Amino acid sequence: MTENSDAQGADADPANGARTEPDPKLLEILACPVTKGPLEYDRDAQELISKSARLAFPIRDGMPIMLPEEARELRDDEL
Amino acid sequence: MTRDFPRALELGGAGAFARLFARNDAARAKIGWLASADLSAAHLTGLSAPAFACDEEFLAIADQSLDLVVAPLSLHAVNDLPGALIQIRRALKPDGLFLGAMLGGASLTELRQCLLAAEVELTGGAGARVAPFADAMDLSGLLQRAGFALPVADIDRHAVTYAQPMKLLSDLRAMGETSAPAERPPRALTRAVLFKAMELYQSRFANADGRARATFEILYAVGWAPADSQPKPLRPGSAQTRLADALNATERSAGEKAGPGTSAREKD
Repeated sequence: MTENSDAQGADADPANGARTEPDPKLLEILACPVTKGPLEYDRDAQELISKSARLAFPIRDGMPIMLPEEARELRDDEL
Repeated sequence: MTRDFPRALELGGAGAFARLFARNDAARAKIGWLASADLSAAHLTGLSAPAFACDEEFLAIADQSLDLVVAPLSLHAVNDLPGALIQIRRALKPDGLFLGAMLGGASLTELRQCLLAAEVELTGGAGARVAPFADAMDLSGLLQRAGFALPVADIDRHAVTYAQPMKLLSDLRAMGETSAPAERPPRALTRAVLFKAMELYQSRFANADGRARATFEILYAVGWAPADSQPKPLRPGSAQTRLADALNATERSAGEKAGPGTSAREKD
C-alpha cells in the first residue's frame, strides 16, 4: 500500500501531507556514533552534524543514517 | 513485575519488533515510545515507527537516554560483542532494561562440521564458513563485564528438520545469515565442496524419517543498568540481628575472635 515511488516529483505527497521530518524524540536521543557527542540538526541540508567527529550524517526520507562510512566529512569552514 | 518504559529502542531487528508492537495493545500500554535501528536502512523503510540506520558497534545513542533496549536475534552478527554491550548499557538510564536474543552455542553445528569435512576432503584445506557463536557461559560473563546489574543468560535449543539440507541454506539466505564471518576464507566455496557437504549432511545428520536436522540455539540475555534502587548484597558485618537468636540456638565461638578496638568502624 505504500507506492510513493512515482515520477510525479517533488513534495506533493497526498498520503503523507508534509515532507518527512525525523521524529523529534528521536533527535533528542541520538548522539554521534563515533564520539557520543551532541548532534546539531541542519533542517535545510537534512543532516545531523557532529562537530566533535567532524562528520555530517545524512537524513534520507526522515531516516537518519548514523553510519560513519555514510557520513560526509565536514570542511574547516563548517566547524 | 510492573514497569513502564517511556523510551525504548529495537536494535538490529529489522523492524520486526516494531511491527509486532504496533499490533499489541499490552505492549503499547507499557512502552511509551519505540524507535527501530538496523544496520540496513532498507530493512526499515515503510516502518511507521521512528527509525534510523545504525551499527551496533557504533551505537548512535546519547548516554542514559533509554528505558529499554531490545535486541531481537541480532547481536550474534556483531564482531565486538563486549563493546556493543557496553554501549547499550551506557545508552540506558539507571534501572533501564536490556533484553537480547541471539544465535549461539551449537547453532548450525551440523553445517559447520559438514562444510569443514567436505572442504578438507576435496581441497586439502578448509576455512571457517560458519561464523563463531558465543555460548551462554560467555554471555553471562560479558553482561557482567559490560556493567549490567542482575544479569541473566539462558539458552533455548531448537532442532529444525529439512527434507533437503540444501533447503537449510536457502532459509539461511532468506534470513540474511549467509557468509556472515567478517573475514571470509581466501578461497570461495566451490559447487563441488558444497554438494559434497550436503551429501555428508544427509548421511550424518538425518533422522530416522530421512529428514536432515539443523540445530539452532537461541541465547537470551537480560541485564539492568545499575541503579541505587536495585537489590544489592549487604556489606559484610552489617547485620542487625544475630543468626543465633533467630535460630534460638546458643552461639559457640569457632576460636577466632577480633580483639577489642580492631574494628575500623566504631560508632557511638
